[in-house]
Amino acid sequence: MDSTKVVKKKKSMFHHDSKLYRDEHRAAFLMIILPVLGFLIFSLVPLIYSVFASFTNWNGIGQMTFTGLTNFKLMLKDNYFWKTLYNTFFLMIGIPIGLILSFLLASALSRGLKGTTFFRVIYYIPVISSLAAIAIMWQWAYNGDYGLVNQVLALVGIKGPNWLQNVHTVKPAIIAMSVWKGLGYSMLLYLAAIQSVPKSYYEAADLDGANSFQKFKNITWPMCRPVTFFLIITNVIGGSQIFTEINIMTPTGGPEYSSATIVWYIWQKAFKNFQMGYASAMSLVLGILIFIITALQFYMNRKSDYQLS
Amino acid sequence: MKIWKKIGLLALSAVAVLSIAGCGNKSASGSDSNKKHTITFMYRGGEDEKKAYGQAIKQFEKTHKDVKVKIIVTSADNYATKLQAAISGNKVPDVFYIEQNNLLAYVNSGVLKDISKEVEKSNIDLDNVWSYGVNSYRTNGKTVGKGALYGLPKDVGPMSLGYNKTMFEKNNIPLPDKDKPYTWDEFIKVCQQLTKDTNNDGKIDQYATGFNVNWSLQSFVWSNGADWSNKAKTKVTIDTPKFAEALQLFADLQNKYHVTPSAKEAQSLDTYQRWMKGELAFFPVGPWDLSTYNKLNFDYDLIPWPAGSTGKSATYVGSLGIGVSNKTKYGQDAVELAEYLSTNKKAQKTLVDAMVQIPNLKDMAQEWADDTSIKPANREEFLQIVNDYGHAMPAATTYNSEWYDMFMTDIQPVLDGKITAKKYVKEEQPKMQAKLDAANQQLKTASAGK
Repeated sequence: MDSTKVVKKKKSMFHHDSKLYRDEHRAAFLMIILPVLGFLIFSLVPLIYSVFASFTNWNGIGQMTFTGLTNFKLMLKDNYFWKTLYNTFFLMIGIPIGLILSFLLASALSRGLKGTTFFRVIYYIPVISSLAAIAIMWQWAYNGDYGLVNQVLALVGIKGPNWLQNVHTVKPAIIAMSVWKGLGYSMLLYLAAIQSVPKSYYEAADLDGANSFQKFKNITWPMCRPVTFFLIITNVIGGSQIFTEINIMTPTGGPEYSSATIVWYIWQKAFKNFQMGYASAMSLVLGILIFIITALQFYMNRKSDYQLS
Repeated sequence: MKIWKKIGLLALSAVAVLSIAGCGNKSASGSDSNKKHTITFMYRGGEDEKKAYGQAIKQFEKTHKDVKVKIIVTSADNYATKLQAAISGNKVPDVFYIEQNNLLAYVNSGVLKDISKEVEKSNIDLDNVWSYGVNSYRTNGKTVGKGALYGLPKDVGPMSLGYNKTMFEKNNIPLPDKDKPYTWDEFIKVCQQLTKDTNNDGKIDQYATGFNVNWSLQSFVWSNGADWSNKAKTKVTIDTPKFAEALQLFADLQNKYHVTPSAKEAQSLDTYQRWMKGELAFFPVGPWDLSTYNKLNFDYDLIPWPAGSTGKSATYVGSLGIGVSNKTKYGQDAVELAEYLSTNKKAQKTLVDAMVQIPNLKDMAQEWADDTSIKPANREEFLQIVNDYGHAMPAATTYNSEWYDMFMTDIQPVLDGKITAKKYVKEEQPKMQAKLDAANQQLKTASAGK
């Protein structure tokens, strides 16, 4: 109660017409001007512009003609649009796999074993490496003839496929790479979450005679829930926009478009086929889809958040 | 507030505003004082090419004392995206590379300057430049090949066929004739002779070839009298027996005759590596490959592609153009830079010496082909392709390449032998036709709005 009083008192000091208030306000405004201007110029204006462009037949360089809903109607009938959308969501299978693996890794590393720092660094290296470089490296690793993956498989007598040129293996190959790439980041967040669980919880559980699985199920995992939630949201948003690795590893969208993702398709339309209007329309739909999915996730997480606090 | 704090804040916000303003118009105010003006040139290429063009531009600046050329260079992959972003952002470079299949869109959107008059006034002998190269940048807004000139060729890129001479000699197989192409039957027979296990370990380690469908199928189709579309680019014509026959033969090289590395390995990377290691007998060779291939430890030379039922060899010849922005302030200088890079003898020599292209000038090209000190010996083949049996890529003159890309996207099952060529072309034709119709519709709208 005391603290709220102090805050209230302070607030009255900053009365709207006081000089101090105005000075501080102006200073605050100057402080934030850079990010605000950046947002307006580099995010909001292009956003509005592309919404507008999605109702035109703009080719990206010439005149715009308003065409109403034509682009959206076209999209419904465009098989490639649906296929690439499907591929994009299929590739998200990697998200739960990555979360589980990174959680397990974090649990292992949080036990204070020898060499923890070493492994933390090892797992984090892919995160700080350039995505383009990683994609090229994995492209080599997946090479059907000389690739590292197939050479290792050959050691145990398995003849590996030509990963990136086979309809059935190209998606798993890309999923494996994304999991590997994202592991370090998720692991670090989980590690922080696990280590910030108060020791007293475990001590209390020990007193109650809980075994380690029960402790994990009732303490560690629930305490990491905010991190899981955060990772799912950011991974889903990131996963919907997967592009660089696709464009480098399978520059033609993979055999029979089997690895073409929606953003890759949008890019093709916009920059190769002079259909910026149509590409904008697809981006708009994708943006709305991501928004709906994220809103749903927040809605579903509402209850658990309440319970935790 | 403390005065220092205030100053600090003002400085901070000034930096913010300036940094954003910096993204806008960088006027040439600085260069006015020494009466130099700057024109920008945007291009792309590999390391060798970047270096060679940088050198040629320096030579240009020496002859044009009042001009400074600002270079924007990108990797090949990024070029189209960056250029289009520059165009829609109204920051078109004064001079830039144009890809053949973008010509119609750029001209109809008013991006490119009509340079016919400037080129005519200058003393360039266009008859001495490959007509395929020049005509690739002529258009009336509807078709490519005639009309006003909107660019000059940066280069022409004939795709020839190379063979590993050392391998032929080792296996006592008569060398191919450089004037008379193999028939398909002869080609298959030679291929079968050359595919073998050289170290007797039970695994084949020497193959006849390994063609990438994207860059080699054209030769088989065209030399069999078939094509992807009619001349007017209105109808997709892949559903003919001649087309199916050529495509089937291409797939059979892998699946029936087994003269290429196994069916899964169509990735060009693999076969490219094999060729460089000397494990392939035949491989496509473009002029830009010479600097690399001449360092290989086997002898190679060029021959015409095997001929199908027409009895005549065929292959594709690409081109990249140099265009001038319609909005340039320094039109004369910009056109002169394009002319210089495309047709100046000194510039051409710099580029040809760097082994990144063949000369654009016919007389110079002939001299280059006759020079016996350069490998491979039969460089004449390149010239014959440009002059005689080279075709433009199917989508080079359509508004976009979606219809043609579709053919290559869906083709894997044919190459894997899972469906026949005959079935494929029949199923694929209507899909491609729809995309070609859409592209032509786009062109119609664009040229009407001009």
